[in-house]
Amino acid sequence: MSVALVVGTPKGAAILASKDRKNWSERFVLQGWPVTASAQDDKGRIYAAVNSPSYGVAIFVSDDLENWKQLSAAPRYRPEDRGNPEHHRIVGQMDFEGKLKSGGRFVDQIWTLHWAHGALYAGVSEAGLFVSRDRGESWQPVDGFNEHPTRATWQPGFGGLGAHTILSDAKNPNRMWAGVSAAGFFRTDDGGKTWAAKNDGVNGDTGQCVHSVTHDPRNANVLFRQEHRGVHRSDDGGDTWRVIEDGLPVCELSDGHRCSFGFASAIDLKTRNVFVVPLEGDNFRFPRGGQLAVYRTGDGARWQPLTDGLPANCFTAVLRGAMAADQGDPGGIYFGTASGTVYASADCGDRWKEIASGLSRITSVGAYSA
Amino acid sequence: MTVRVQLPPVLRNAVGGERWLEADGTSIAAALSDLAHRHPALGLHFFDEQGAIRRNIIFLHDGTMIRAAEALAHRVNPGDEIVLTNALAGG
Repeated sequence: MSVALVVGTPKGAAILASKDRKNWSERFVLQGWPVTASAQDDKGRIYAAVNSPSYGVAIFVSDDLENWKQLSAAPRYRPEDRGNPEHHRIVGQMDFEGKLKSGGRFVDQIWTLHWAHGALYAGVSEAGLFVSRDRGESWQPVDGFNEHPTRATWQPGFGGLGAHTILSDAKNPNRMWAGVSAAGFFRTDDGGKTWAAKNDGVNGDTGQCVHSVTHDPRNANVLFRQEHRGVHRSDDGGDTWRVIEDGLPVCELSDGHRCSFGFASAIDLKTRNVFVVPLEGDNFRFPRGGQLAVYRTGDGARWQPLTDGLPANCFTAVLRGAMAADQGDPGGIYFGTASGTVYASADCGDRWKEIASGLSRITSVGAYSA
Repeated sequence: MTVRVQLPPVLRNAVGGERWLEADGTSIAAALSDLAHRHPALGLHFFDEQGAIRRNIIFLHDGTMIRAAEALAHRVNPGDEIVLTNALAGG
């Protein structure tokens, strides 16, 4: 099986390619651009989102992972849209004289790109959704989400107010989900016109710090959610959630709550195995005792630690967008660390191998057929 | 009125790898607007959603540093060279 990984870092993207998932080639593209997200459309084209504190966001496309072309359009808010001052402060959206931008709402990062039902969706910071129905040549805001009735209550997390997760239902184009730090998880059942908060069983209505959510789009209503406050499962499309942490390391958060903390998650569609990388709480944010470990579950009833090939004395993190599955047989699972190393498993997590190192902070990993 | 504008390396992909572009305008902002009109991908990088020049862009006009806030009114003359650069920080 030929696979290509797009590994996003603040310096550009590493393209790791393999025909057998044993031997990997590496080259570095989009040099000088922070690469924050990627996606593949139904024709095999790869989209990579970049951002810069100086030059804003943009989207590059490639059909061969070697030659990249910047698109002339990108998600942008309207001049009249009003922004969140606390988000501005957190992301340092000010000039180099220290003056905050006044009033407006700006796209300062594309957190995620998602291809579904012939459209490309972008989840951005300051939190919002945009859709392109012409493969990135033009973008429209998803107003039902961006102007949500609860928006005034949305508060940014440590990394700002960002819409970082988009999921879709393979059987129902009108149903989608979006996750926002730190506003929570939302679902639309009318193609994006209206969105309902889906956090029952996690806590409250909005105000939740969802870190990542994964699922099988063909069995879309079974959702696995890595929340700031623990790992949860929903069997009803997000209407209700329950904690599923049997076998996961549980730690104490800064507020005293005990749960399994982490960011990234991924799913192998063939087995429906789900993967997370627990970290030692929001104070420490590295694997317990420095043993890098991926945890796997089939149905959420019990999690199994996977450490074969992963290092001890590894005091780094795996960020929310930095894990992906290639959907091969057996499933290939990949993740990158905040200290610039990429690990791969070609057997659905049983054994791991370092396939790249020396990169900077890895913020996104996409796995694509090549 | 034509001036020459040098793009930083990361922006050159948007114009087929060109380093220098010619632009019409009597101010830095007008020259950028002209370039954005002819190269919409560059416009994303020059101007934010409210139409303001992105604040961390710095211009060198014949060797003199001009900040974004000053670019609207800063006059340029035919044949002048404007170098785009940006505030740098970190490693």
